[in-house]
Amino acid sequence: MRGRFAPAIFLGIPSVFLVAMFVLPLLSMLVLSIWRTENYHIIQDFNLNNYRVLATETAYQTFLLRSLLMATAVSVICTVLAWPIAYGIILYGGRYRLLLSLAFAVPFLTGEVLRIIALQGLLGPIGLLNGVLMSLGAAPLRVIMYTNFASAIGLIYLYLPIVVTVIYLSLLNFDQRLIDAAKIFGASPARAFFEVTWPLNLFGTLIGFALCFIPCLSATLAPRFLGGPNGTLFGMAIAQQFAESGTWALGAAMGVVLFAVCVLLVAIVARLLDLRRTGFTGFGRG
Amino acid sequence: MAYITLDGVSKQYGSVWAVDRVDMAIDKHEFVSLLGPSGSGKTTLLRIIAGLETPTQGRVLIDGEDVTHLPPHRRGVAMVFQEFLLFPHRTVYENLAFPLRMLKLQKGEIAERVDWVLGILALRGLEKRYPNQLSGGQQQRVALGRGLVGRPKVLLLDEPLANLDRELRQEMEVEIRRHQTALGIPFIYVTHNQEEALSMSDRIAVVRGGRVEDFASRTDIYDRPKTAFIAQFVGRSNRFEGVAAQASDRLAIRGEGVLIETAARPGIGEGDNVVAYVKNEKVRLKLAEPGAAAGANTIAARIRHVILRGAYAEYVLSWSGGELIASRPRDGAELPGGAEVTAYWDAADVDLFAQAGGDQ
Repeated sequence: MRGRFAPAIFLGIPSVFLVAMFVLPLLSMLVLSIWRTENYHIIQDFNLNNYRVLATETAYQTFLLRSLLMATAVSVICTVLAWPIAYGIILYGGRYRLLLSLAFAVPFLTGEVLRIIALQGLLGPIGLLNGVLMSLGAAPLRVIMYTNFASAIGLIYLYLPIVVTVIYLSLLNFDQRLIDAAKIFGASPARAFFEVTWPLNLFGTLIGFALCFIPCLSATLAPRFLGGPNGTLFGMAIAQQFAESGTWALGAAMGVVLFAVCVLLVAIVARLLDLRRTGFTGFGRG
Repeated sequence: MAYITLDGVSKQYGSVWAVDRVDMAIDKHEFVSLLGPSGSGKTTLLRIIAGLETPTQGRVLIDGEDVTHLPPHRRGVAMVFQEFLLFPHRTVYENLAFPLRMLKLQKGEIAERVDWVLGILALRGLEKRYPNQLSGGQQQRVALGRGLVGRPKVLLLDEPLANLDRELRQEMEVEIRRHQTALGIPFIYVTHNQEEALSMSDRIAVVRGGRVEDFASRTDIYDRPKTAFIAQFVGRSNRFEGVAAQASDRLAIRGEGVLIETAARPGIGEGDNVVAYVKNEKVRLKLAEPGAAAGANTIAARIRHVILRGAYAEYVLSWSGGELIASRPRDGAELPGGAEVTAYWDAADVDLFAQAGGDQ
């Protein structure tokens, strides 16, 4: 009896949860995006005006493009930084491995706003970095004051721990002895990395990449506090529709576009990626 | 000139010597087993030959070249691992082609060599499978094939059959030995399983506590154990403890309730504590004759039960000193359980060692 109902319970409840908390709100967004808002009121008549605005107003395209560039740059940098960090913990962490990997979660103990404000205090015009520079008589670094560069630093700071953790978990699950096997059969250490370590951790790396990339696309706080006048990102623009300007329907349409872009990107990656080539069998270690 | 030479090889981990001053010389056509219990250092020794560990002291020579400080990929060795360690993201074909790609062979030659290995290991038709789509035996064959395909100078095998069931293991033993003979390269085979070592090897090195206790032909290791540990570890034996008493050229050992007589050994004198081993199959049995006097090398016992092992039977006997096991072929003249018997053996079949202080 237990055996018969267990799958229904264990798979059913999350499914219900997924539908209630994810699919339904998404559908409501979709519906809202084909209505319109006027003077803080929702008017329920079908039109594609919001999408027309998004397609014609270059500002939104600039925001989206800037967001895509920003998310790509930040995710690439995070991944490049995270690999040696995660690998270092695996190789040299010894019995402190768990502690070290948990240490990466410490920033999560504070809120995202706090972390960004703290960073603003570090990078801003009277922040620690420029304060020291100026007290030494040097010119302040303009590049870190309210620029896209500062936003990028903020986003890297926010998402690096996640990427490190995901890649760390991937490496933890990776059988290091396969590297021995590759070396025995004639691969130099660098060759062994590209023949074995990299492909077998590609899936984990992509998950880490995606877990950085997707929230970066919809980032609002970092660009708002660090980005400056030319730093508006798509996610920040969405937040403005729902807050200051009260154009919820347009905001919903932007959300739908963002969702579509994400789905498209994931679909492209899924198409290009042969899971078998990452050693992923879907049945645990084969 | 030996093909592979280990010269005073030692490996220290912290304060422990995992491998301790090992000297070995292995010939080009030899099948050598490193036999020892787990933790004896045999796998570390193998990994030192492979280049996966650097010895703290000593040198490793392969084909006349000092490879002590060469990384594994420049040594021309190959290895078969206990857990197979096939590349899970590569097909059987690609796993087998891996060593050849690393050797930078032409595509055509790679295909030829892989095909050769697929043929000798009966793997044709599985080329496109991934390792997790293979049975344990098939994975083992691919692992062996990957070891052979690059025509290494030496093939190192680290308990490769430990994860296979018994029947498959015996099949693979024959096959592995056949490939070694055909290729004419040395195989160094690590195992804790004496049957595997005895069935395949030319010579066996018994490893214990990081040291090689003896490195000799398999018959010498089995029939003429050099140390008490080898006598205990190789084959199945009955063990007796006692005190030696010299009687001209023969040595009498008085243990609890048994008198063992054997030829005198150098280094064992009157009053020494000794330990004697008699292999199970050397203990013979006859039905007890009432009134017969108990002589040397005989024990009066009762058959407690009989274990059938197929071709032979093991008789578990009780006697005043405890338990005794005699194994004999099942030739039809079987003895019934509960029977009173006399167990006896030849003086020449006694392996005798001085008992070192605190040594088993």
